[in-house]
Amino acid sequence: MADATNKPLTRVGPEGGTPVLLLAEYDTPAAVMHAAEKVRDAGFTRWDVHTPFPVHGMDKAMGLPDSRLGWIVATMALIGFSTAVSLITWANVVSYPFIVGGKPAFSIPSYAPVCFELTVLLSAFGAVFGMFGLNKLPRHHHAVFESDRFRAVTDDKFFVSVEYADPKFDDVRTRELLESTKPNHIEIVEDNES
Amino acid sequence: MSAQEHDYKASGSLAGAWKIAAGVGAVGIGGALAMGAGDPKRFAFSYLFAFAAFLTLAVGATFFVLIQHVTSAAWSVTTRRIAEFFMSALPVFALLFVPVALHVDDLYGSWANHEAHGAAHAPAGEHAAPHGEHAAPAEHGAEHAAPTEHGTEHAAPHHEAGGEEPRGFLSQEEIEHLAHTEVITAKSGYLNKGFFFLRVAIYFALWILVSTRLFRNSTSQDASRDHEWTRRSQGMAPWAISVMALSTTFAAFDWYMSLLPSWYSTIFGVYHFAASMSGFFAFFTLTVMWLRKNGQLGEAVTVEHFHDLGKLTFGFNAFWAYIAFSQFFLIWYAGIPEEAEFYHMRWSDGPWKVVSASLAILHFVVPFVLLMSRNVKRNLSGLAAGAALIFVMHIVEMYWLVMPNYAHAMNIPAGNDHALSISPLDLLSFLGVGGVFFAAVLFRMSKHPLVALGDPRFERSRHFENA
Repeated sequence: MADATNKPLTRVGPEGGTPVLLLAEYDTPAAVMHAAEKVRDAGFTRWDVHTPFPVHGMDKAMGLPDSRLGWIVATMALIGFSTAVSLITWANVVSYPFIVGGKPAFSIPSYAPVCFELTVLLSAFGAVFGMFGLNKLPRHHHAVFESDRFRAVTDDKFFVSVEYADPKFDDVRTRELLESTKPNHIEIVEDNES
Repeated sequence: MSAQEHDYKASGSLAGAWKIAAGVGAVGIGGALAMGAGDPKRFAFSYLFAFAAFLTLAVGATFFVLIQHVTSAAWSVTTRRIAEFFMSALPVFALLFVPVALHVDDLYGSWANHEAHGAAHAPAGEHAAPHGEHAAPAEHGAEHAAPTEHGTEHAAPHHEAGGEEPRGFLSQEEIEHLAHTEVITAKSGYLNKGFFFLRVAIYFALWILVSTRLFRNSTSQDASRDHEWTRRSQGMAPWAISVMALSTTFAAFDWYMSLLPSWYSTIFGVYHFAASMSGFFAFFTLTVMWLRKNGQLGEAVTVEHFHDLGKLTFGFNAFWAYIAFSQFFLIWYAGIPEEAEFYHMRWSDGPWKVVSASLAILHFVVPFVLLMSRNVKRNLSGLAAGAALIFVMHIVEMYWLVMPNYAHAMNIPAGNDHALSISPLDLLSFLGVGGVFFAAVLFRMSKHPLVALGDPRFERSRHFENA
C-alpha cells in the first residue's frame, strides 16, 4: 500500500509551482485519527485533517486547544446588551421621556425585549463573522484543491495535509512519519507563490 | 461485553431507602392532616403547593422519556431509566390528589361554591350576580365591605370612589364585584365541580396509561433484550406526547390557574410545562450525580452525559425564563385589571415582591451565567451547584404560584406583610408528598436495574461523546 521509501512521490499542481503540502490519503476515520495523533505528537503546528464528516474525538487527536470563538461571542453579547441599555435609557429617560400606558419612563420590563434582541443579534454576528475570521475566510484558493484525489474528501476518503512551511518540516523525515501511518497514498502538492 | 460486569442493581442503603422515604411521607402527611384539621384552608393551600412541587418532577420526567423515544436518542439510554423511575411514580399522584379533592371548596371556593347559584340564574344575566354573591359571602363580601380595615393602597381608591358616590345606583365596589361575578358565571360551564372531577379522572387515567406502558416497555426489555419493546415505545411516543401536552395544560388551568378564577393567561400551560422541565432537569441531574457518586451506576454514566444534561438544564431554564417573562410582560404592558391581578398579588411592594425578584435573579440570571460555559457543565461540582440552585428555586416557584392565593382567600391585601406567612403545614405537606413520591421512586429502584440494560443502544450510549 504505502509507497516504497525511496520512490519519488507523485507531484500535483500547476506548471512551475513549488511544493507546499504533503498530502496523505486514508480509508477510515480510525486510520486518519491515528495518523493525526502521530503528527500531533511530532509537534507539528501547520497541518490539518480533512474528513467527509465530523469525526468525534478528532479535536483531541489533533491536540486543538479550545476555540476562542466563545470569548468573541461573549464579548459581542456584552456589547449588544450594554448598547441596548444605553440606547433605551438615553431615548426613554434622558432625551424624550414620554409616559406610555401609565408606565414610568424608567421601566425595567420594557428593556427586556430590546436587550434580548440586540444581545442575540450581536452574538450571532460575533459567532458567524468570528468563525470566518478564525478560519481566515473567505479564501478563494487553497493548494489542497490542486490534487485530484482530494475530491474524494467529500465522499469516502480521509486526508492529512502537512505544510512545507511548518518549522518542523523536513523533506525526508516528514515523509517517513506519514508513511509510518500506513496511508493509501502520499503526494506532494505544488502551488504557485501567492 | 463489559456491560455485564456490573448488574446495576440498587445496592447497599439504596435498596432499603424507600422504607425511610415512606416513613417520612407517613409522618409528613399524618402530621399535616392532624395539624390541618384545625385550619383546613391553610392545609389545602400548603398541600397543593407540595403536590405541585413534586408532580411537576414526575410530569417533566415523562416528557423527557417521551422526547428520547420520539427522537430515538442513543446518548441518553444509560440515564433514561432514572427518569423512568420518576415517571413511574405518576400513578401515585392520583392517590396524593385525594386531599386536594376533599378540599375543593377551600381551594377553589370562588368558583366551586359559585356554581349552584350562578348556574341556576345564569339566564338572568347580570341579575345572577347578587345571588352568586351570597354563595361566597366570606370571599367577596369581606373584601369589599371593609376595605378600610386593611387600608391598602389598592383598596383605598375604591373606597374614595365609593364615598363620593358619583355613579347613581351602584358603588364602584359593586360594579367591580358584578363584573367579577359575571366573569365567573360565564366560566361556570367549564369551572364547575362535576366537570372538574371528570377532567381530573381523565388526566390521571391518561397519565397512568402513558407512564405504566412506557415503564413496562423499558423494564420488560431488561431480561429479554427484545428490540420490539423499543419499537413499541417509539410507536406510542408521538401520540403520548400530544396527550401529555394537552392533559398537563388543562391540569395546570384547573389546579393552579383556577385558584384565581377571574384570571386567565393563555400561555399558562406552556409556562407550567417550562417550569416542570427546568425543575425536572435540575433534579434529574442531581439524582444521577448522587447515584453515580455512590457507585450505583458503574461506568455507565460519564462526564459526556452530564455535559448533555447540563445543556438541557441550561436550555430549559432559559426557556422557562423566556416563557415566564413573556407571560408577565404582556400582562404588565396591557395593564388590564383582571389580567394584572395575578401579578398584583405577587409584585405589590411587600414580601411576595422579594420572592418574585428572587425568582428572576436566582432561577434565571445566576444559573444562566453559571451554566453557560462548557467547562462548567463538564465540571461536576459546577454543574451540581447550578442544578441545585435551579431545583431549590423551582420549589420556591411552586410556593410562589400557589400561596399568594391563600392570602387572597383570607382577604389579606396584596403587599401586606402578612400576605406571606410560612406555616409548619407547608413543611409537613412538603415532607409528606415528597416522602410518598420518593418511596414510590426508591421502591421501583430497588426492584429494577438502575439503567436500561436491555436497550439495543446501551453500549453506544456508554461510549457516547460530545462532538
